[in-house]
Parts: sequence; structure tokens; C-alpha cells
Amino acid sequence: MHIPDGFFDAKVALATGALAVVGLGAALRHARLRLPARRVPLLGLSAAFVFAAQMLNFPVAGGTSGHLIGGVLAAVLLGPSAAVIAISAVLIVQCFLFADGGITALGGNIFNMALIGGAGGWAIFHLFRRAAGGTLGLVLAAGLAAWGSTVLAAIACAGELAASGTIAWSRAFPAMVGVHVLIGVGESIITVLVLLAIAKVRPDLLGLAGPQRRGMEVMAPSSLDYASSRLGGEKAGTLLIFGLLISLGLALFVAPFACPWPDGLDKTAAVLGFKHRESPTRALPAPICDYKMPGISSEGVATGIAGAAGTVIVFGLAWMLTRALFCKSDVEPLVDAAASSP
Amino acid sequence: MIPALEIRDLHYSYPDGAPALGGISFSLAAGERVGLIGPNGAGKSTLLLHLNGLLPDHPGHCPSVRVDGLAVQSPHLPEIRRRVGLLFQDANDQLFCPTVYEDVAFGPQQLGLDDAQVRTRVTQALAQVALSGFEARLTHHLSSGEKRRVCLAGVLACRPSILALDEPTSSLDPRGRRELMAFLRGIALTQLIATHDLELVADLCSRVMVLSQGVIVADGPMNAVLNDEALMAAHGLERPHILRHLHPHSPVGP
Amino acid sequence: MHADFLDRYSRLESPMHRLDAAGKLVLALALVVLTVALPPSRAIVLAAVAVLLLMVLVLSRLPWRFILRRMLWLEPFVLGAALLTLLEPGGWRIFLLLTARCSLCLLTMLLLANTTPFADLLRVLRRWHLPALMLTTLALMYRYLFVLVDETGRMRRARASRTFAARRWLAWRASAGVIGHLFIRASERAGRIYSAMCARGWQ
Repeated sequence: MHIPDGFFDAKVALATGALAVVGLGAALRHARLRLPARRVPLLGLSAAFVFAAQMLNFPVAGGTSGHLIGGVLAAVLLGPSAAVIAISAVLIVQCFLFADGGITALGGNIFNMALIGGAGGWAIFHLFRRAAGGTLGLVLAAGLAAWGSTVLAAIACAGELAASGTIAWSRAFPAMVGVHVLIGVGESIITVLVLLAIAKVRPDLLGLAGPQRRGMEVMAPSSLDYASSRLGGEKAGTLLIFGLLISLGLALFVAPFACPWPDGLDKTAAVLGFKHRESPTRALPAPICDYKMPGISSEGVATGIAGAAGTVIVFGLAWMLTRALFCKSDVEPLVDAAASSP
Repeated sequence: MIPALEIRDLHYSYPDGAPALGGISFSLAAGERVGLIGPNGAGKSTLLLHLNGLLPDHPGHCPSVRVDGLAVQSPHLPEIRRRVGLLFQDANDQLFCPTVYEDVAFGPQQLGLDDAQVRTRVTQALAQVALSGFEARLTHHLSSGEKRRVCLAGVLACRPSILALDEPTSSLDPRGRRELMAFLRGIALTQLIATHDLELVADLCSRVMVLSQGVIVADGPMNAVLNDEALMAAHGLERPHILRHLHPHSPVGP
Repeated sequence: MHADFLDRYSRLESPMHRLDAAGKLVLALALVVLTVALPPSRAIVLAAVAVLLLMVLVLSRLPWRFILRRMLWLEPFVLGAALLTLLEPGGWRIFLLLTARCSLCLLTMLLLANTTPFADLLRVLRRWHLPALMLTTLALMYRYLFVLVDETGRMRRARASRTFAARRWLAWRASAGVIGHLFIRASERAGRIYSAMCARGWQ
């Protein structure tokens, strides 16, 4: 579901970018305040883990194979905030190192896969988890959450593409959601199998009872804010932010297409005798005609932005040439005191 | 003379309650090179982690470990961690920065030195391990011998007074091993080397301690301990070849 | 897998490689924004962008076959999604423009990735005040990516050497088991890394 550059128009890119920044910011803040120092390296290692796990093949049929996405897996293992951070890190690296996922689409990809896939997936998991206890309950809840969050992310993605005017909702929705209903099944099965494998060897990593291991590697339930029965204070606030952001995104990109009220209003108008008035059109433009391109709808704004970008390029080239003549190297630390331990 | 390292009646149990170390006591004089040997699971790594306060998780009031006379507990911990250079078993765990420069610079930066001082320390440390010019190299591209040497450089950049090494020659090829041993022989720091490499111990160490099931069962001159076949066999060890095939009066050891 | 699958060409010697990382990042971003924001009437500018990128490619001394292969590997999604636009009346114009825009952006990012070591990009992000926790996460992820991928490869080979039936279900179980163990190992390694960081004075 990595969307490349050029599929989202400016307003969708900016809107999803804003949602992603706020969501990631909330997750980072929560982690900075509540993550114990000894767990900080786990964020980076988990991101590497998700990336490596995504490389494994799961043969489907006739040469094709599926891959794990890992949103709910990360959320179950790490908690919602840490999962959002880890998955965002994976998306950022994939974008900058492999050009997998566009830079203007990074906001959208983070919103879909980290916020909906990770935090939203955790919410679904948590909901079902309370219904059944034990290893089986946990694993089944995770499986349901994996399918649900995959489909939900696909719906959001279809909405973003349609809102950009790239692909009409009537085509994007069935294509994206149809495919991901199936992909979600695979994701669900793989998530279940992986959690079962972990539960067999290190149930403590899932917060389940089981034999403790010795040595300094022993960690208590490794999730940052594991599904405890009570939500309170800081954690509830962060979850609220995630919920609001996801709802806002869905309202912006999906509701206008899925919402039946324009048609309902039409019917009502007919019944009440106001039929002679123009029927309300859909909230956003229908399938694009010839010269309306995915991009920015206003020609003036588009030219303005392109002009600004061009100016930056010219200045940038000149500046770089100047810099190249005067060599300067300063090295700053990358891995430094990140979390202020309480 | 304050001993470089002094341990008095150190006890430690794993979180699940199983005993790990039971009543360890010994001290190291400055400049001594001591080998710590024993079967797997004896507690060698666990013991080393006590030297700079990584264990225990919740220190008590009576410190069992003193480094240069300082008790290994807060508020001395930052200074202790500077003085005790701990080299971990897996170089990958210790080499956590993307480039060599950043990793070796990590320690000095944590000590609060300014950029120029950090740069000097890094250059000197890399020179000490014969890796000058490696500053810009990516850590994940290095061979295991190079990784081990960068870890050493990272530790040396903090100017420690004690080196505590956990299996330093594991996964090194013969050349890497020779280079490491030559290096250890050359520096004047106090060294505690936990290892399975008995040939190294015979070659480098003047004194040997045998740790078995969390207790020190032997502590004496290298020749005496390593040549004691009965003792070695009783704790899953053996007399190293270098001692077996030599005339008893020919010189061997440090 | 070779250790250099991540950074094979980012440390070559060329005029492009020598340029400042921050500048390259800003330029790449500006180029992408330009390409994406260009109104359809000015589509001819895309040709100029293409020429500029090809010049950069030549200057960077990157093997063109490698870049081409990378682009072809990424194109399927672009084409697949773009194909949907063909269903619209007159959609072929949209399809062509969309594909052109996407491909140019892909090329831009690939050139950026392969002329700029990731560590340098991280340093730039640090100067731009990205949150420290995010930077540490990215740095550690990058550092241990190869280690984990290597472990994955070794576990897969170990399992494959004990697998005799080619049944799909068993393959799924095996791969899932590898992922499970990978997390356990990653989690334990994270604990050791924490100790190593503390041992060198991390606060």
C-alpha cells in the first residue's frame, strides 16, 4: 500500500501530512515521557525487525507470494505508540533509501499504515482482547485486528486517491478494498502464526504467564503500554489523539463518498415537493474529464507552486556550487541522550 | 596501594530467584592481567556486568564492588563507567552507531567533551587499534575482527583504567586473534579477561581465577592453576596444549 | 545477501556524491514538488526535469543498469494503480502524465538515495530538529537492519535444510516461526545494546 509521488494532490498530501505529523508527534511525546530508558533501543530494533519480517515470502499461488505488513503485530508486541513510531521509521527508511513510497505521499502512507494500521489495529485488538483471555484470546483478537485494520487502511487509501481526483471512488474503492480484503486474510493468518510462535518460547513478551528466562535480557512485558485493564492519564490522552486523528482522516477522505445524505436529501426534496430545485451534487467532483489532472485544481495555484519550486531549485544549485568550493565537515552525534529518563 | 578492583563477598541472584554468584571476593592490583575461566553458565559474564554497575538492577546499600577505591553505586556510576572499559561478547551489540567515527566518539561525547577534544580522542583511539582512516566507514560493513577493534577503540577513547573483556577472541580468525593478543600484551591497563580461550590465558595472564557455579574455586598464578589437571577436569576445563607440550622449565606466559 | 544491499553506491566518488547532503535533500524535495505540482498545460517542463535528472545520473557515475532495475522493480504499483485511470473517458492522457510524473519522482529519490549516505541524511534531519527519539530510532534501525536481515537469512536456510515437503501450509508455519524468533532475538539484542550504551556513559 505504499503510494508513490503523484497520486495525491496538494490538499490531500498536506492534510494527511498534518495528520501524520500530529499522530507521530503524539506517539513520540508519549514515548519520551513514559518509555523507560532501557526500552529506547527496542524502538529502533523493532523497526528493523518489521522491515526484515516484510522480506519473508509466504507463497500464495502459482509463483505469487504475500508478505507481512506488520502493523498489528508491532502494536500487540509494543503497544500503540511504539508501533506508530516503529512503522513510521520503516516507512521513512523505505521512502528515502528505496524510493518505495513517495515523499509527498509519506504523510498519507504514515496515516494509513502507522496510524490506522498500528494504532487503529491496536484499538480493534484491545476491544476483542477483553472478550477472551489467555493465549488463544490474544491471538484471535490480533488476527481479527489485522484483517480489520488492513481493510480500514485500504478504505482510507481509496478515499485519499478519490479526494485527490486521481482515481474515481467508484473504481478506487472496489479495487483497493477488494484486494485488501484478501490481503487482510493473509495478514491475519501470519500475525496469528507469529504470535503463537512467540507465545511458545517467550510468553512474557506478550504479557502472558509462562516460564521466566534468566540473564540480563529478561524484560517484563515488553510493550510500552501493554493492554492493561485500566487506561488512565497519559496513555488515555494519547489514545484519544490517535482516535481523533483517524476519525478526522476518515471523515475528510471517506465520508464524502460513502455518505448517503446527498441522495437522501434528493429523495426528501422530491417528497416535499422541492424537486424543481437542482439536486445537490456530490461533495467532491465525479470522474475526471479530459483536462482536469490529478494535481492542483486551480491553475493559478499550481503555477505558483511550480514556480516557487523552480526558484528553489535554481538557488539551490547555485548555493551548492558555492558550498562545494568551501569544504566543511562537522560530525554530530546521532545516537545520543534521546529519552530523558525520569 | 588502593587495588584497581576490589570485590568483597558479592552475591547475585537472577530475577527468577536462581542463584548466580555466591560470595565472590578478590582484588586486582593496578596493571595486573588476570584470566577468568570456567565452564559455560558459571557466571563469568554476570560477574563482569557487576564491575560497572550494570548489575544489579537495584543496588543495595553496601557496595560489594570498588573500582580504584570508589564504590560502584550512584553517584559514582558515571565515573566508574569511564574507568571500567567493558568489552561485550558480541561486537554487534556494542557497535550501535552507523559510522565508526560516531561510535568511537560516543563515549567522549557522553563525557561532555567538546568537538575538538572528541576528535582528538577518536583519532588517538583508532590509531591505538591500528584502524586509522576508518572514521567514515559504515559499521555494518566491517569484518568481525575490525568490529572488535572498533569496540576496543570506543572503550579506549574514554581513557579507562581497567579493561574487562568478555570472550574477546570468540569469532575471530587466527590473524584477528593474534592481533588482539598482541594488542592486549602491549597496553599497560589492568585487565580481567573472561574467556574459553585457554591458550590466550596461558600466553597473556600472570594470574588465573576459575569460576564454577557462581563461586571462585581457584585463584592463583597461571602456571599453578592451568597445570592442575585434576582441578581443570573437575570444572569442565582442560590443561591448554601450550603447557602440555613444553618442557617445564621453558619460559611461557607474560 | 551482501552487506551492501543498503548502501551499495552511496559512497562512490563523483561530483554528485561530494555535494552537501542538506542541499541534495532540499533539491530533491523541490524537484518532486515541482514535478507533482506542475499544471498539465506546462507538462513540457517535465521533459526539462527528465533531462536534468539524466545529467545528474551521468555526473553521479551510478551504474545506469542498477537504477533502471530499481525503477522497474518499483513501477508495477505505479502502473497498476495508474491503469485504473485508463478506465475513464480520455483517460490515456491522465495515465501518461501520471506515469511520467511518478517515474520522474522515483528517479529523483533513487538518485538522492544512492548519492547520499543515510547517516548524512540523518545528520541533516538532526540539524532540522527532528525529535531526538525519532532520530535514535532511525539510526539504530539503519545500523541493525543488515544484522537482522542476515539473521533472517540464516534462520530461513536452517529451516529449509530441514524441510522436505513443499506444502504451502508448512512454508507459512516455517516463515512465521522465523519471524517470531527474529522478534525475540531483536528484543534480547535491544536489551544488550542498552547495557552497552550505559557502559559508555549514556544517560
